[in-house]
Amino acid sequence: MKTTPMFLAPLALALATPAFAVEKADVLTNYANIAAAKYADSVTTAQRLQTAVDALIANPSAEALEDAKAAWLASRVPYQQTEVYRFGNAIVDDWEGKVNAWPLDEGLIDYVDGSYGGPSDENAFAVLNVVANPNFTLSGSEVDAAEITPALLEETLHEADGIEANVATGYHAIEFLLWGQDLNGHGPGAGNRPWTDYAAGDACTGGNCDRRADYLKASTDLLVSDLEWMAAQWIDGGAARATLMENEDAGISAILTGMGSLSYGEQAGERMRLGLMLNDPEEEHDCFADNTHNSHYYDGLGIQNVYLGEYIRIDGTSVSGASLADMVAATDAALDAEMQGKLSTTMMALGRIKSAAEAGFAYDQMLEQGNAGGEALIMGGVNGLVDQTRSIERVVAALGVDAIEFEGSDSLDNPEAVFE
Amino acid sequence: MRLILALVALLPLPALADSTRSIVDEHILPGFAALAETTQTLQNTAAETCTRGDPLNTAYNAAFDAWITVSHLRFGPTEQEDRAFALAFWPDSRGATPKALSRLIANADPVAETADTYAEVSIAARGFFALEFLLYDAAFADQGDADYRCQLIQTITADIAAVSDAMQQDWQNDYAAKLIEPSADSPYRTPAEATQELFKALNTGLQFTSENRLGRPLGTFDKPRPNRAEARRSARSLRHVELSLTSLKSLALALAADAPDIQEKLDQRFTKAIDVAARVDDPSFAGVADPGTRIKVEALQSAVESIRQAVALDLGPRLGVSVGFNALDGD
Repeated sequence: MKTTPMFLAPLALALATPAFAVEKADVLTNYANIAAAKYADSVTTAQRLQTAVDALIANPSAEALEDAKAAWLASRVPYQQTEVYRFGNAIVDDWEGKVNAWPLDEGLIDYVDGSYGGPSDENAFAVLNVVANPNFTLSGSEVDAAEITPALLEETLHEADGIEANVATGYHAIEFLLWGQDLNGHGPGAGNRPWTDYAAGDACTGGNCDRRADYLKASTDLLVSDLEWMAAQWIDGGAARATLMENEDAGISAILTGMGSLSYGEQAGERMRLGLMLNDPEEEHDCFADNTHNSHYYDGLGIQNVYLGEYIRIDGTSVSGASLADMVAATDAALDAEMQGKLSTTMMALGRIKSAAEAGFAYDQMLEQGNAGGEALIMGGVNGLVDQTRSIERVVAALGVDAIEFEGSDSLDNPEAVFE
Repeated sequence: MRLILALVALLPLPALADSTRSIVDEHILPGFAALAETTQTLQNTAAETCTRGDPLNTAYNAAFDAWITVSHLRFGPTEQEDRAFALAFWPDSRGATPKALSRLIANADPVAETADTYAEVSIAARGFFALEFLLYDAAFADQGDADYRCQLIQTITADIAAVSDAMQQDWQNDYAAKLIEPSADSPYRTPAEATQELFKALNTGLQFTSENRLGRPLGTFDKPRPNRAEARRSARSLRHVELSLTSLKSLALALAADAPDIQEKLDQRFTKAIDVAARVDDPSFAGVADPGTRIKVEALQSAVESIRQAVALDLGPRLGVSVGFNALDGD
């Protein structure tokens, strides 16, 4: 569609007042700098995970498995803060399924408990168990999985049969390989995979320890290379940064789209409220590791730090600059105060979930039917996220940028059809 | 994914508040009154007989019709206390509903003794979709104890009626006024915010019908997914599309009341989509793998998409509101 330059004039004039001038280009540059730092931190922590995984495979031990788990948990801290970049930036959204797809039918990858069930109406490959099967048939063709390679995971197994729950790659596949299924239901405790699942010879438990190690190695290597690719898109000259800077209004709109879509539909709805309403411990975002409280917390923090324009890196240094907050404050100071207040309220609520979980009240327990305290904690987070979305919509209106998102709409990709 | 930039119109229509009032009086309140009434009839019918078939099926269909007709109005009283989810949890991609029901039946769980206690169970075991399994799915015809199944049917209908009544009461006695009279203490500060809420309901309703009601069973050409059709067990899949289009049409035309050119365009596109729907002779979308049927269902989806275009690109800018964020954002 066409935008007439005439309509741009009032907004441009309003922002031209020298004392309050906040250049959109500066806001976008800082947003891209923060993305570059967050993805670079994600690469660094994933490489540490890779080192720990290599050590586990070379010399399997209980300690080596714990080290790998600790590295995985640390790697989630910067990555979850990048999720706010997903929905506004097509290049991130199109790629994201490779590294953070969830929920998964983990029986595709490795052995599962009998209570998991068999193939379902939705997914014929829910219990394929690639670790145990070097050959199998997938959608009519024979697959040779004698060697478990990044290419096999990425090209053949991931989203096999067109089913999104067939997650073969990314953080959650690795999480399952490190922790195993969480069989504690609503009780405390994470998955409890024995380190001997990676042991050599007769000490091997769960069968096929070498193939399991191959799978863990391949999926970790793939995670590192996928993250490296994304980090490169955000540096100077990278495609994600270039697309963002192409049109300043569209860029500002992308920031807000990412904040609002993650706050409302994704985090408040799909990840938090739904699990609570279903009372289902499998509706936990980091369910194998029992790390869901952190997953939610750092998602929320990512939304807040994008608005405020400041990110604290994993080495303690800060990346900051012109922010959306500055821009809103220059247009409507009261609205900026409202927005900042709402984001802080959400972080308080998500912090309560995190601190309760760290003190022993597991997220699984919070989800249990009739657990009033858990429900109040989770709904506190949901309400904060829903409430901040209303303010994000007000910011959209105040800045005069309107994000309209159509996913995969043919007629929009073909502009003629709009005016049929 | 595509991002499109539009500028919010600088001059909102002066008649926004009037149009909100008429939407509340003619679209929202009558819709929730019908839901309260038909769900009460459903509860009463189940109290007399829990045998599969009529008269229970007739009462079930009438009440489900009433819900689909208002199901796009997911804000305010509809969203409180998980009410909308408690009436209709779908899509259910992990099969939570049959699992939850089987567990209740296997344990003859006493939580089903009253609607009050039942309000605590997972949303997957509540509402019209849970009831559909009990009334239509062969696997639940003789599972567990017959008396317990009967009690479950009676309790689920009572829970549906209670939730519907609460929504109707809150709309009537509280929320209608909030929508009509925006103020600093209301959820809506200005008439434009109230209009945006209604506009979002229209847009989200169309998106849900296009992406879920039609898109899920369509799947891809190579991999059609007839088993993912909404309410296929009671053969209501196509009916839901028709009911939602009819209801969304009345909302759209009312929102466009002061923009006759856009109103006419929307009227044409809705009429066309409803026409196309009438020619799809496949109530449960079982035939999405059959090329002859599939092409009709695809045509229906295109017709709904063309309404979405007009809503997003014509109506939104004219009303001075954006589509904002909704529950379908995300993955």
